[in-house]
Amino acid sequence: MSHKITRKMDLNSADFYVEVEAPLVAERFKAGNFTVLMTNPHGERIPMSIMKVEDGKIAMFIKKLGKTSMELYKTLNTFEHVIGPMGNPINVKKYGNVVVASDLVCGHAENYAISKALSSVEGNHVTSFQTFPTSDDVYPDEVLAEKVCDEYHLTTEDGSRGEEGHYIDILEERLEKGEKIDIIFAGGALPNLKELGEMTESYNVPTIVTVRQIMVDASGMCGACRVFIDGKMKLACIDGPMFDAHKVDWESALRRPNMFVAKETVATKLCQETGRC
Amino acid sequence: MAKLKKRVPVREQAVKDRIHNFDSVPYGYNEEEAIAEAQRCIQCPNPTCETACPVNIKIKDMIHHIAEGQFKEAFLLTKDDDAFPACTGRVCPQEDQCEGSCIMLKTGQPISIGKLEGFAADWARKNNIKEEIKIPVSEKPKKAAVVGSGPAGLACAADLRKYGYDVTMFETLHQAGGVLEYGIPNFRLPKDIVEYELDALEKSGVEIKLNHTVGQNIGFDELQQEYDAIFLGTGAGAPRFMGIEGEKLNGVYSANEFLIRANLMKASLFPNWDTPIMVGKKVGVIGAGNVAMDAARTALRLGADEVSIIYRRKMDFSPARAEEYEHAKEEGIIFQELVNPTKIVGTDRGWVKGIEVVNMELGEKDSSGRPRPIPVEGTEHIIELDTVVEALGTTPNRLFLSRTPQLKTDKRGIITTDDNLMTSIPGVFAGGDAISGGATVILALGEGRKAAKAMHDYIENK
Repeated sequence: MSHKITRKMDLNSADFYVEVEAPLVAERFKAGNFTVLMTNPHGERIPMSIMKVEDGKIAMFIKKLGKTSMELYKTLNTFEHVIGPMGNPINVKKYGNVVVASDLVCGHAENYAISKALSSVEGNHVTSFQTFPTSDDVYPDEVLAEKVCDEYHLTTEDGSRGEEGHYIDILEERLEKGEKIDIIFAGGALPNLKELGEMTESYNVPTIVTVRQIMVDASGMCGACRVFIDGKMKLACIDGPMFDAHKVDWESALRRPNMFVAKETVATKLCQETGRC
Repeated sequence: MAKLKKRVPVREQAVKDRIHNFDSVPYGYNEEEAIAEAQRCIQCPNPTCETACPVNIKIKDMIHHIAEGQFKEAFLLTKDDDAFPACTGRVCPQEDQCEGSCIMLKTGQPISIGKLEGFAADWARKNNIKEEIKIPVSEKPKKAAVVGSGPAGLACAADLRKYGYDVTMFETLHQAGGVLEYGIPNFRLPKDIVEYELDALEKSGVEIKLNHTVGQNIGFDELQQEYDAIFLGTGAGAPRFMGIEGEKLNGVYSANEFLIRANLMKASLFPNWDTPIMVGKKVGVIGAGNVAMDAARTALRLGADEVSIIYRRKMDFSPARAEEYEHAKEEGIIFQELVNPTKIVGTDRGWVKGIEVVNMELGEKDSSGRPRPIPVEGTEHIIELDTVVEALGTTPNRLFLSRTPQLKTDKRGIITTDDNLMTSIPGVFAGGDAISGGATVILALGEGRKAAKAMHDYIENK
């Protein structure tokens, strides 16, 4: 039941684009959902954001990070399993002034999907912000959210392309000037999502963020992805993956993804030694 | 005279070897041993073992066949009532069921019924003996859906197929088998046994759709439109946590996560398999049921130096199978009884470094009929640990239930059914942990089978 990879492309020196045949996921995907990937029968179950779906295929952005992603980048032409869509879609409705923001690989994929879904609703004005470290890191135009939103801001932290600064600082300036934002959807680096939440709380702007956690079954059975929202335990896989940034217990949410780092280093080393990645 | 003979012991892997591997602990009887054990049975005129069996396996005749060397007949007889005797022979709590009511118990040596059942099924598998299935042929067979591929779903699907239905089974994971695959470790239930049964089911014509989560990537309403009857064997898969301070620390697992990583995802083979597991030097497992025993013995096999069971009652009141408790003791699992965790304590970096417990004393009997454990004030102390596994039972599948609000459940989310296992929705039946909240494999198998019969009657009379 393997799934054919139909396209791979470099996004920058660290991230790449993968398109794979997955008819069920493609047919049923809604913005906010994610997929679960297994590269081979011995693989991990890895949750992954989806950028877009087209003709029975799904497109994703993946960072070359550990064993699985390196192997996928270098040698694999198929996935053993592409599962889902899992998780809850966002509520696609009229919000008014919507900001969608991202600063990291999966967040950029979510940005595309959410911008596209919300800008299709009459009465929404969707402003998409995508932040990259430098101009060298900016993704190719064809995968940026520019085409699927009403207003687009590309920003780089060193100012080498687009506006200078992280989207959080730019948003804060705008809010300080009195700009009215009805809701923010954001994804990407967890520490930045925490910071975003702290900033928007003082302006009372509802802020919904993807709390990316390690998952195993991704269907509510194992509890690995537990996060604490307003003091209550929730599971990112079936209650999320997006939550109100103002209610997330960030201390544990930031810590849990590190639980297996030591092990992952071992796997990557072995994989490199055997030439698979 | 036969009465005086002692139970034929089951050969097992030596402790020093088995704590380093995931292979089956018991080797099972060989033919001579099985015959010798079966010959101890006095063939009671009124076999209480059969009435004590949740699915009333014809145990007396099964044993008689084995005693006569008629292993095929013994196997086929068990299959009449039990879809997977090789599994139940290994995982049933026999001491509370058949063996617990065996007349020979009075001698302290009941017949080893579970091991004989397992022997007959293993013998059949090794000799390629299968029950003959005659599936009624019809031009346009009616269609039945089975949601979940654990014990209840498997038994239900097997019988529905025998009635001639076009059966499709929907499984969320990438592997069928439910708890038999993700939950029960290989050292207790070898996975080749489960896979043999799954293979037989597929060969009989049951279609297994993996990676399909009903209510998530396929709608329950779609199933209702397409199928003449539906069986829900959705299990009780969500872990329960104690809700104490420190559960957010790294190094805290639910038993479900711990066992899914170890069993389904083969974390013991990491890094050749990709899923990691972190097991510290000192592991504490909270709880004392079968799942707790499984988690503790798994932790030992994954390399922990010291593994403790932390239990608020005495082990006499533990719901674990006697054999698992014995095996765990032999393997050096430490039993800390009459202590209850009050909080988990961590390092500055957010990892577990111990667990604070309070001593308990036993009071009056509670609703479970066991003496109620009562905390002894001022006895709080810390047990040093670096990994905590919480094995406190599970709750029903919230994902599925949240998408089927029309399905009636009790307060705990347990699906309510009538005497025929039909739910509040006509044509939709349920069984297994989804209706019990957490029981045994044998009960799930029995309910799966009972539901199949009821679904057959329902479709016939529709």
